[in-house]
Amino acid sequence: MLIRKDPEVLTMANEDVQRTLEELSRNLKESKAWLEEAQRVAHLGYWVWDLETNHLIWSDETYRIFGLTPQEGLIDLDKVREMIHPDDREAVFRTAGEAVRSGARADCEHRLFRPNGEMRIVHSLGDLKKDSSGRPYQIFGTTQDITERKRAEEAFQEISRKLLESNARLEEAQRIANVGHYSWNLIENRVVWSDEVYRIYGLSPQQGPIDLAMVREMIHPADRELVFHAAEDALQSEVPVDIEHRLVRPDGEVRTIHSVGTVKRDTSGRPYEMFGTAQDVTDRRRSEEALKQSQFYLSEGQRLAHMGSWAFNDSGHYWSDELYKIYGLDPQNGAPTVEQYLELIHPQDRTSMAESIKRMQEEHCGFDQIERIVRPDGQLRYIRAVAIPVIEQEVFKGFIGTTMDVTEQELLTQELRREQAYLTEAQSLTHIGSWAANFATMQNFHLSDETYRIHGLDPRQGPTPLERFWATLHPEDEPVVRATIENAIRTGTDYEIHEFRIRRADDGQIRVLRSIGHRNPAGEIGEYVGITMDITELKRAEEEREKLRQLEADLAHINRVNMLGELSAALAHEIKQPIAASITSANACLRWLARDPPDLERARAAAARIEEDGNRAADVINRLRSFYKKGSPPKREAVDIKEILREMTALFRTEALRHSVRIHSELHEERPHVLADRVQLQQVFMNLMLNALEAMKDSGGELTITSRSNPEGQLVVSISDTGVGLPAENTERIFDAFHTTKPQGTGMGLAITRSIVEAHGGRVWATANQGAGATLHFTLPAKAGARA
Amino acid sequence: MKSAALPTVFIIDDDKGLRQAIEDLVESVGLRAETFASGEEFLSRRHISGPSCLVLDVRLPQMSGLDFQRRLTETGTQIPIIFITAHGDIPMSVRALKSGAVEFLTKPFRDQDLLDAIQQALQHDRAAQEQQAEIHDLRELYRTLTAREQEVMALVVSGMLNKQIASEIGVSEATVKIHRGNAMHKMQAASVVDLVRMADKLKLPPRK
Repeated sequence: MLIRKDPEVLTMANEDVQRTLEELSRNLKESKAWLEEAQRVAHLGYWVWDLETNHLIWSDETYRIFGLTPQEGLIDLDKVREMIHPDDREAVFRTAGEAVRSGARADCEHRLFRPNGEMRIVHSLGDLKKDSSGRPYQIFGTTQDITERKRAEEAFQEISRKLLESNARLEEAQRIANVGHYSWNLIENRVVWSDEVYRIYGLSPQQGPIDLAMVREMIHPADRELVFHAAEDALQSEVPVDIEHRLVRPDGEVRTIHSVGTVKRDTSGRPYEMFGTAQDVTDRRRSEEALKQSQFYLSEGQRLAHMGSWAFNDSGHYWSDELYKIYGLDPQNGAPTVEQYLELIHPQDRTSMAESIKRMQEEHCGFDQIERIVRPDGQLRYIRAVAIPVIEQEVFKGFIGTTMDVTEQELLTQELRREQAYLTEAQSLTHIGSWAANFATMQNFHLSDETYRIHGLDPRQGPTPLERFWATLHPEDEPVVRATIENAIRTGTDYEIHEFRIRRADDGQIRVLRSIGHRNPAGEIGEYVGITMDITELKRAEEEREKLRQLEADLAHINRVNMLGELSAALAHEIKQPIAASITSANACLRWLARDPPDLERARAAAARIEEDGNRAADVINRLRSFYKKGSPPKREAVDIKEILREMTALFRTEALRHSVRIHSELHEERPHVLADRVQLQQVFMNLMLNALEAMKDSGGELTITSRSNPEGQLVVSISDTGVGLPAENTERIFDAFHTTKPQGTGMGLAITRSIVEAHGGRVWATANQGAGATLHFTLPAKAGARA
Repeated sequence: MKSAALPTVFIIDDDKGLRQAIEDLVESVGLRAETFASGEEFLSRRHISGPSCLVLDVRLPQMSGLDFQRRLTETGTQIPIIFITAHGDIPMSVRALKSGAVEFLTKPFRDQDLLDAIQQALQHDRAAQEQQAEIHDLRELYRTLTAREQEVMALVVSGMLNKQIASEIGVSEATVKIHRGNAMHKMQAASVVDLVRMADKLKLPPRK
């Protein structure tokens, strides 16, 4: 409201003027009071700025706005300037300057500080006054305190901003949670959806108003009844809607929706709106399904694997069903305490388990051990318990673990270990090592401890390359071993190396081994499974036995020589007596004859004694000749020549080997049996074979025994050698007693042989061989039965 | 042909033929022979007079020749032995010869070897018998000496002077001279040297 000093009013000087003036003055006063009141109510003050004098006049309200007491008179422009907020000072005076220059209304908002420090925001307007010449002389303006309004505005802006923000957040939240909301105006039967509901239905949010019929169409046919029934229920009975149903999106995808809704009613109870939310729970349902499935699989897997799992943390102690089963406990009773648990452990394992648990709790470390438990029903089981500490971001959270019933495996393992121990022991006792290897690629698949030990290697040093075993081979035997195995690989056959030497890796001792390898038909080329046997002791024993046998044979020989020596000594004495007597008598006879005169009587007597002694000597010889005829009446039995020959060959084997003599026989197959005294026949073979061997003593050669039958039906046995041969003279003499060509011979062998053979009704003779050596033949009557 | 002066060859052999042959051979050279089938038989009818020897078979039925030889030595019968054997070995012959056998012959032996051995044995025996006879005579003479004379003789042959002997036995030198003279006379010793030889043969213990 403006007050103008109207010069025309003031110049009216009539009578009415005074009244009018008075009335005017009253009106003015009145107006002024109203104005004042209006200014105060509106917090609007006015001011006049005299541009010529640069004086400023304020209304009371202007003073109040500036926090000053209204006063008459002028206000100091500098003071006003001081009170304006420093940041706004420039702008205020610039605006004023602009107004003066351009004549436009000055309009600005600025802040000011009241003397008490309170800041106010004001809105000032100013109009420029010009005189008739157009010269500006005054600015009239108002200043309104807009602090409250400004604050209210700001608060409103803040609220609306927050509202927008929370709307956006709601939208975002709905989108993230797949939750949308809807409202169904029951009166107008109009539905409003949030954006997310559109999205849930596979529609674009800007698709326009919702057609209930369309919604109905989109609900899965199988669930339509349910949905509308639930809505009906809610309307009828005030029960909130809370259902899950499926819908079919326009693209055909089926989603599962969780829908919740409440019905709003007016004071009269009439329903006017249903408000609710719809949540797409398809993924959650799926993952729930998957979780259920995997839990099923897990528990089924645990059941099948006899494996239980557990967890131990701040929130408690969890045991899986299978774990209860393993320990024979009732899941209803919950997981046992540590003390109860330890009670289940086998007494012998309890201490170690208690220590493990203690360490686990104190040091937060896991464990993995096998121990025995005794179920409440008394059954003993082996379990493998594994515990793992759970540490998240370096903070210990608890333990998880598994427990597996390994009874069957453990028993099997123990059985296997026992078997293994037995096998190892057996191998160690017999010095037989087993192995499986590929000689072509020099890989080994299995080497028993004994195999290591046989080669002087340590099984405890872990896998050892096959080359180290090869390296122990004796250099002289290595080529043979290699060739045998290479040949076996090439031909794909088994092999046996009867004996070969190695030098033991540890003590360098030479050992004799035997190796048998069976080709693995299922394996690669060069794969063999076999055994290696240390036959050193065996061989030594065999050699000892061989030595013994040799000694035995030597002794037999010596005995025979001794026997013959004795015999011949006895015979020599027997024969020497009459011979010495006859020689002496002959000498005496000669002396009687040489006397002068000759004593013929005594000479004749001596000659008679000579004859007598000669006969006596002949008798001795005859006694010898008949020794085998009369001495012991020979037994006659069917004797198998082959068997005797086998015995004799065995007896002379060593002797033959020593002199490099090969013995072989070609026997008449049909008639191996003869009627003979077995012992005497053995003696014949022994004598003839010994002679043959001795003939080849220095040269070596071949001893051949053949048999055939002659036209008389007798069996002819020939023993042939390749030795020194017969003496050049009368070969028959060799059969005479005391005839010998050997330095150690007794000269009785062939004589006895002839005696025996002749006693059997056979004949013995000798022939010189075409090449070297001699053959001695004898005949024996074949067994009567065999002849028939 | 039997004569006490003739040397005798005793033949011991269990073989009758050989026994007779050796006897015949011995007799053919003019020696006397006597035969026995065993050592026991010889011992039972032994009558050795004059030089003799023994032809002994090593191998005899009961007592072997070597055992018989030892038996003879044990009984103090000194007779040269010629061993004959059918098969002698060296150790056996060494043993026999060490025990005093004259010869060791192996049957059949050369007749001359046996006869030479017999001759050697008889000669040996003859010398031994003569020595035996001398000792026998000396003993007879020695027995005629008085005890004092025997005492003095022993001291004389030990080389002591009369004076020493006198002080030894506590008599005068003159008395010693008498005893000494008597002993020399009784022993028919020509000199002290002769007396010493006699004492040696008699194997008198030397006196000091």
